[in-house]
Amino acid sequence: MNSIAAYFYVYKIRIQKSLAYHYDVYGNILMQCIIMFAAAFFWRALYAGETVVQGVEAEQMYIYTVISTAMSVFFMNDVEQRVMRSVEKGTIAVEMLKPINLYGIFFFEDLGKLTALLFQNLIPILLIGSIFIAVPKPASAMAFLLFIVSLIMAYLIHWLLAACFSMWAFVTINMTPLLQVKKHLIRLLSGSIIPLWFFPDWLASVLNCLPFVYIYQLPLDIYIGKASMENLILRLGIQAVWVVVLLVLFVVLQKIAVKKVMVQGG
Amino acid sequence: MAVIEVKNLTKEYKVNKKGKGLGGAVKNLFLREKAIVSAVKDLSFTIEKGEIVAFIGPNGAGKSTTVKMMSGILNPTKGQVLINGKDVAKKRKEVVMDLGVVFGQRTQLNWDLRLGESFELLKRIYRIPNDRYEENLRIMNDILGINEIIDIPVRQLSLGQRMRGDLVAAMLHSPSVLFLDEPTIGLDVEGKYAIRKFIKEINRVKGTTVILTTHDLGDIQELCERLIIINNGELMEDGPLREVTERIAPFKTLVVEFYDGETVEHEKAELFYHEGNIAKYRFPKADITAAQLIEELSAKKEIKDVSIEEAGIDDIIRIAYQGGNEKI
Repeated sequence: MNSIAAYFYVYKIRIQKSLAYHYDVYGNILMQCIIMFAAAFFWRALYAGETVVQGVEAEQMYIYTVISTAMSVFFMNDVEQRVMRSVEKGTIAVEMLKPINLYGIFFFEDLGKLTALLFQNLIPILLIGSIFIAVPKPASAMAFLLFIVSLIMAYLIHWLLAACFSMWAFVTINMTPLLQVKKHLIRLLSGSIIPLWFFPDWLASVLNCLPFVYIYQLPLDIYIGKASMENLILRLGIQAVWVVVLLVLFVVLQKIAVKKVMVQGG
Repeated sequence: MAVIEVKNLTKEYKVNKKGKGLGGAVKNLFLREKAIVSAVKDLSFTIEKGEIVAFIGPNGAGKSTTVKMMSGILNPTKGQVLINGKDVAKKRKEVVMDLGVVFGQRTQLNWDLRLGESFELLKRIYRIPNDRYEENLRIMNDILGINEIIDIPVRQLSLGQRMRGDLVAAMLHSPSVLFLDEPTIGLDVEGKYAIRKFIKEINRVKGTTVILTTHDLGDIQELCERLIIINNGELMEDGPLREVTERIAPFKTLVVEFYDGETVEHEKAELFYHEGNIAKYRFPKADITAAQLIEELSAKKEIKDVSIEEAGIDDIIRIAYQGGNEKI
């Protein structure tokens, strides 16, 4: 079935709507910048007197901080809230009755929001970071290209995790607390604030088996040129596998959720 | 040709039996007893093209469950629903293209969009050709005056406006069957009028088959050629309004005004209302004529004035909702 026109319309309209809202945009810039400055001061204190820690220079660490903050813009999805709201309002069954994939609609809404945020949040954060912390130069042109590839896969991993997680809404009544826990766990376990090489070895190896490090850590490693090319390619491969695994999981969960709604009523 | 065939439709829910008190709550943590509740039991009927059918019944009677199964939102436990010959539960994707659904208390319009944008999105979801889309919008604007509110964000619409929007949204892709679950609930007189006019017009102009559930007597009186009464998940009555009335409410009411507050009894009529000088008698048409009753009453006591009321839709509802076994 050809639903492209509908998806594109949703994408377009979401960009328009997002551009019309200003206040939460400024709020988010402020919040992200506070985290960015706090992290930068933290690293400055940690690097006092040292030039290289764990094979990473202070300058690289500042770049890591700026890019990590900028990347957070990519992980502000609404899919969970959307599903939660529909289940709460009891419209989910009727929405599923439409001849289009509901999650497809949510995905393109999120893409629309992201597109608006690139202008509203990403550029201001990069500017502020460049002026006050460090100009975020990539390690090389090749690194930048691979970073983009990895970032796209990171986006998919994060979105699919959110989509899978949203199915909880069919079981629990209020999952807002769960969402908060998930959000902060991801930030902590994905290396977005503290890179994995500062974690104890055993914890780092556990985290390497989970999808979270492929959301922040891998793209960031590529960007600042940490680790060898072979190592990065291998990890890009694992990242791609995670995309596929989560996609399969998502499709299965979606089938179960639809069946549950159809049997128990929306 | 039958547009909708409902065959032995049954819906059972499994519910957790809850124990009482603290002991029961603790027991529930470990042992879950399942109980089966039947919401709809073995319903069968057919609906022809172009009919307007009202489902009535008390809350929890199984009306909404039936409509949900008919519109493919809920899978039946047993039995099937065929729409235009296709099994709704099995060929859902094909069938939905030919269905419009409105649930009065739950809007399907996107809260964040303007009404017109919601329509544009539906146009793309259902892949409605441009000319048909324009024509449908024009027809529906003529009936509902939708153009006045097309640029208002859905969240700012009043209930009546939103309901109009929902109706248009459900009809944009020209479905041959329209399901309405309590479409006039909570609306003011004008709102109800608009919705009823819409249903009548769409039925006349496009030949749309309309199935609605309602508690509103006005809806039934103005719209429905056919009434299906459901209670406890079972079909109780099915037929034209007049026939159903004859069958379950075969009585009239005689209103008598006396010269004073005293009343008299009559063995064939029930005195069910008395206030001041006014008394109301309900009598079975088969047992006694109105003329006889007046004559016999006036023989006992002098009468100032009389009037006769036919059994109305409210009597039917009252009797049907009480389970249909009330004696008169």
